Amino acid sequence: MNPLIQLELIRESLVAVVNEMRANIIHSSYAAIIYEGHDFSCALMSADGRQVAQGLADHPIHIFAVPYSTREVVKVFKDDIHEGDLFLHNDPYTGGTHLNDVLLLHPVFNEGKLALFAAMRCHWNDVGGMTPGSLSGRVKEIYQEGIRITPTRICEKGVMNQAVLDALFNNMRGPEERIGDFNAMLGTGRKAAEHLQRLFERFGGDALIDGVEALIDRSERQMRSRISDCPDGDYFAEGYIESDGSNPDPLVIRLKLTVAGDSINADFTGTSAQTNGPTNCGPAMAFNAVGTIVKAFLDPKTPINNGSFNPISVTAPEKSFINARETAPCGGMAEVKFLIDSVVAAAMGQVVPEMTVGDLKGGANHIHIAGPREDGGTYIHYEWPAGGTGASVGVDGSNAVRSYNEGDFNSIQSVETVESQYPLRVERCEIRTGACGDGANRGGFGLRRELRVLDETAMLSVLSEKNVIPPYGVAGGSNGAANRFVVERDGKVIQPSDVPGKVSGFALSTGDIVREETAGGGGFGDPLTRDPALVADDVELEYLTVDQAEARYGVVFAAGGAVDAAATAAKREALAGARETVTLEIANEDDIDGPRRRIAVPSTLANNLGISDGDLVELRGKAVAPLRGWARVTKATDSLLSIGPAGMRLLNADPGDGIEIRAVHAAPEGVLS
Amino acid sequence: MTDSSQRYLVGIDVGGTFTDILCLDIENQTLLSAKTPSLPGKQWEGVLNALGELGIAPADIRAFVHGTTIATNALLERKGAKTALITTEGFRDTLEIGRTRRLIGGLFDIKFVRPKPLVDRRLRIEVPERTAADGEVLNDIADFDFGPLAERLKSEGVEAVAIGFVNAYANDKTERDAAAALGKLLGDVPVCHSTDVVAEQGEFHRFSTCVLNAYLTPVVIKYLETLAGELNDKGVKAPVNIMGSNGGAMTLPQAAKFAAGTFLSGPVGGAGGAVRICEMADVQDCITFDMGGTSTDVALIYQRTPRISHDNQIDAYPLQVPQLDIHTIGAGGGSIAWVQDDGTLEVGPQSAGALPGPACYGRGGTEPTISDANLVLGRLPTERTLAGGLQLDKAASEAAFAALAEKLGDGDIVPLADGVLRIAVAKMAGAVREVSVHRGFDPRDFALLGFGGAGPMHVFLVAEELAVPQVIVPRYPGHLSALGQLLADQRLDSVRAWGGKLSAVDPVELKVPANEMKLDASKSLSEAGFGSDKQTHTFTVDMRYVGQSYTLSVPTDENAADWDGVRKAFAQRHTETFGHADENNDAEIVNIRLVSLGIVDKPTLAFTSGDGTDLIVEERKVWFGDGWRDCPIYNRDRMEAGFSLVGPAIIEEAGGTSIVPPDWKVTVLEAGSLDCRNPQVSS
Repeated sequence: MNPLIQLELIRESLVAVVNEMRANIIHSSYAAIIYEGHDFSCALMSADGRQVAQGLADHPIHIFAVPYSTREVVKVFKDDIHEGDLFLHNDPYTGGTHLNDVLLLHPVFNEGKLALFAAMRCHWNDVGGMTPGSLSGRVKEIYQEGIRITPTRICEKGVMNQAVLDALFNNMRGPEERIGDFNAMLGTGRKAAEHLQRLFERFGGDALIDGVEALIDRSERQMRSRISDCPDGDYFAEGYIESDGSNPDPLVIRLKLTVAGDSINADFTGTSAQTNGPTNCGPAMAFNAVGTIVKAFLDPKTPINNGSFNPISVTAPEKSFINARETAPCGGMAEVKFLIDSVVAAAMGQVVPEMTVGDLKGGANHIHIAGPREDGGTYIHYEWPAGGTGASVGVDGSNAVRSYNEGDFNSIQSVETVESQYPLRVERCEIRTGACGDGANRGGFGLRRELRVLDETAMLSVLSEKNVIPPYGVAGGSNGAANRFVVERDGKVIQPSDVPGKVSGFALSTGDIVREETAGGGGFGDPLTRDPALVADDVELEYLTVDQAEARYGVVFAAGGAVDAAATAAKREALAGARETVTLEIANEDDIDGPRRRIAVPSTLANNLGISDGDLVELRGKAVAPLRGWARVTKATDSLLSIGPAGMRLLNADPGDGIEIRAVHAAPEGVLS
Repeated sequence: MTDSSQRYLVGIDVGGTFTDILCLDIENQTLLSAKTPSLPGKQWEGVLNALGELGIAPADIRAFVHGTTIATNALLERKGAKTALITTEGFRDTLEIGRTRRLIGGLFDIKFVRPKPLVDRRLRIEVPERTAADGEVLNDIADFDFGPLAERLKSEGVEAVAIGFVNAYANDKTERDAAAALGKLLGDVPVCHSTDVVAEQGEFHRFSTCVLNAYLTPVVIKYLETLAGELNDKGVKAPVNIMGSNGGAMTLPQAAKFAAGTFLSGPVGGAGGAVRICEMADVQDCITFDMGGTSTDVALIYQRTPRISHDNQIDAYPLQVPQLDIHTIGAGGGSIAWVQDDGTLEVGPQSAGALPGPACYGRGGTEPTISDANLVLGRLPTERTLAGGLQLDKAASEAAFAALAEKLGDGDIVPLADGVLRIAVAKMAGAVREVSVHRGFDPRDFALLGFGGAGPMHVFLVAEELAVPQVIVPRYPGHLSALGQLLADQRLDSVRAWGGKLSAVDPVELKVPANEMKLDASKSLSEAGFGSDKQTHTFTVDMRYVGQSYTLSVPTDENAADWDGVRKAFAQRHTETFGHADENNDAEIVNIRLVSLGIVDKPTLAFTSGDGTDLIVEERKVWFGDGWRDCPIYNRDRMEAGFSLVGPAIIEEAGGTSIVPPDWKVTVLEAGSLDCRNPQVSS
């Protein structure tokens, strides 16, 4: 047979196995987060731990980390892997994500030889630790996040190691549910192995494995050719975790992304050290993030396997918060991974400007509401609400939906399911109007959801990012509104934590309302150039008010509701004229204050911007994403701004350039923050 | 009353390319058929043309059943009614937010744009209503003044109204009140409420289903009224029934109320026809393989009953009504082979359609299609016209493949055409896996039933790909969908959220809701003219282990004294499907489902047998995977029952060509079907 055609057949067959695995997990699991939330992924790995096939609904955050875990298992057990063995793993320091994501590896043999692994990584609702659900914004060490499983053989030649399983399940809340999910994974592995056996018979075992290698080569060639089309050079970006939950200081990621010939290196030297809060991730995640974003920018359609990632290398300092070791907690790994995504996207937007895209809502937005059950146990309501997606060239962002770097999961539970299972009432779930990042193409809107507590007590835990530092806009677009998670008690809004977005076991009582408001996506391009007809549509659909349209887009409506073209032109001119522009001059060095970049702002300018010392500002250079820093208000009264060499590189600007400076607000005008 | 002169049962199937009509003359048991081009935008006119082509007296038609794609087309072209959604305070955006899934692709796609909801945000209007999860009405709307709301809907020119309230599955009093009030105020504008369409938990899926129903209702009503009027003008006195997605026929008033139940009106006919063929061929379980010019539909029939699925999605919109579990992929005879960005070969989903059609049709097509691949490989005739009268142009096919070969840098077109065929077959096998393996069935336990214009040409290759032991090709394979329509029973599906843990619920309690459901269905069938001896009612329950979410359907006897049978059947089904059962855990019932049928009398189908002479019309070289083989071409009309042959062979008849690979054994059954056995599988 034509080898090209044989390859297509092998590829289709392997993807069919993965899709079947997905269906199996969804239909037989016990926890809502798996069957409803789809917080799990399946894949096939080669015998040496390279990714062979995944489905298009699987989440990159799980899957691109699986090879790391698999290689770790292979490293530990070497030739001592047999038919009937099964391996568990969740250790972030050796390729795991966070402790809740438990990987089951089912080795598949062909004629006595290890051929492939069927891999299932599922989010277990609780793996022990300090708070129900195991994820909390206020942990200090990984022990508070549950039980850590380094590569462990839980089944040896068909004999289950019940002692190990008991030790695991005895340390988790709601063990019945955990065991049910474990069984679903077991059954799925078995079914996958059966299916693969049929493929070995059909194609011939060696031919199948050769085909896998050829597919990986093909994806690699494709990615290399795409990278070769990009201009060689160094591209810079930086971004912040706003708080690790325990300390007031942010954490910084610094990136130099180098395109050289047909390969890409992402160098994160200068990134903050690991912390004792939950916002760390293990060694698999930086590569995972770079792979996700580079693929989205350069080669979104090629089937996913290890080949796409072979041209990519990552340099991440060990014991930095993006490459953490014992005993840094990693519960917030999604918040970290998505920040890396966001920083890499800022750099890739310079490499491929036509794909540049506004920033996203931040991390997962883990929300847990837990309380006592009648039977003495604990109920855990868990959701991770999506936000608006970023705008890109020619397209507006979408509202309250999973974004391009995420698997296609449900992120909120059905209202009727919540109300029938837990003592909670969902009072509203709606678009968070007004909260988009403005732009010629605007970002999508997030959502607003309110849950009322009906029982006497409950506990709220939140682990999220971008509550203070909002998603950035690109190419002159505005930032989206930040995430916001508050409690309303007796009609008054109260902050459940002194660190926004990081809440641990806040005590709720009857009648309290938990209000989740998710971030809007960043805008693309100058909002004053947005087609007034599109702004009028947004007003017509009540996404924006008339006042917001005028203040943010300069679109003025006549009495009858039609756009007043003359008044709009005048208003737009006035808004443009009111922007603050500064002239850059080079400083000897960057003004770095711990993790923070400081930007010296002359006092008159600070006055005009309405900011004081320590407020966040952003500069808009030629780089598509803005350069952000904390204002250091000086006595100067001119409009010169001194920026160090690294800052100039980040802006992609030169001394003497006139660029715009803006104050960064957690929410756009006319939206609560 | 049935007039004795009314001797014709008529089935009309509207496809993407052709409108196909089949008529059974009950008096002398003969079949008449015709094909006319489908008329996009004017489906009813195509139907009338087809009827005219047949040349029977309209007054002699006893029953008229129609499969239409009107609902699907209206949705895909976004030509449904201007629809409003009235909903609970705080939830106007449920339709837009959904469960935050993209639902159609989008991974790694920076430019992904979420499809707009079918109801504009301005027309999603909240009213002060609230019902709790236990059914308690917290805010009643019995006294709410709907007057201003109705005025607003009228002034906006709203053409259909959907009502969806949170927790209505537990108690739909407020929904029904609102529907009654608005119905009165809005006159002709159709109003439907969510539990009237689907009564299950899950507000997004229920609202989405209700909105789809409202959005399509005016379109479906208008089409059916036009068609019925025109048929009446032509002198057709028989009632016009249309096929429902559940595989049964619906009366016009039923369809007008339940437009969301007509999405699969077109493809379900084939599954119904397949059941009849199974009965005649003594086959229990089969998977249908209905391949036309642009797409292929597959469905699984287990114990002569097509499988039903309850969670469906049309485009990006969830649709929670019972549909035959038909999986459609964009691979048909006209599917185009092309080279992707990364230099790899792909087939479909683009199709050359009817115009220009495949290159070999000689109507201006230049792209290589699956039909062209068949011609290059000698699988279609070039020396003679096709049984339908078409003369194929082999040179055009070869030119199209030569151009493709050049793009791939591979000069030989024969292995390339073979490869295109194999890729298409792999996709079609994927569709078969989707309805079998993904639902817990092994395709090797089924026969594959090949029909549709291109089905018999490819079904053997799909069978080899999946190691399926048996293939059945019915007589007149091009008309099986229409046959299924003209023999369709009427069918009503009902569902009620009811149940609890088996350890806690008394089996006797099942009788109350079950009897209510049965009574309702029975009444509706009686009104449609089915006496109690012409009705069947079958209950199943949706079950899961306590803690799980997804359910499996298990047959149940509503009069059983204990749950033993149900418990056992569920454990068995769970093991078959998921690889394990959970003996230690309690199981629970979530819904009761009832399928009610109004049984239509089915005449015996007797196909005339040939006389066994002049069987072979031609011999030519045909490519079978590994090389050219001498292959006889048979005329099926001449074959006698009991005749058998061993492949390679090609069997031609009007509307279908069976291409039998080497070593397959084919026997002509009494009932006319070809019973074909796969030599690679001992069964």
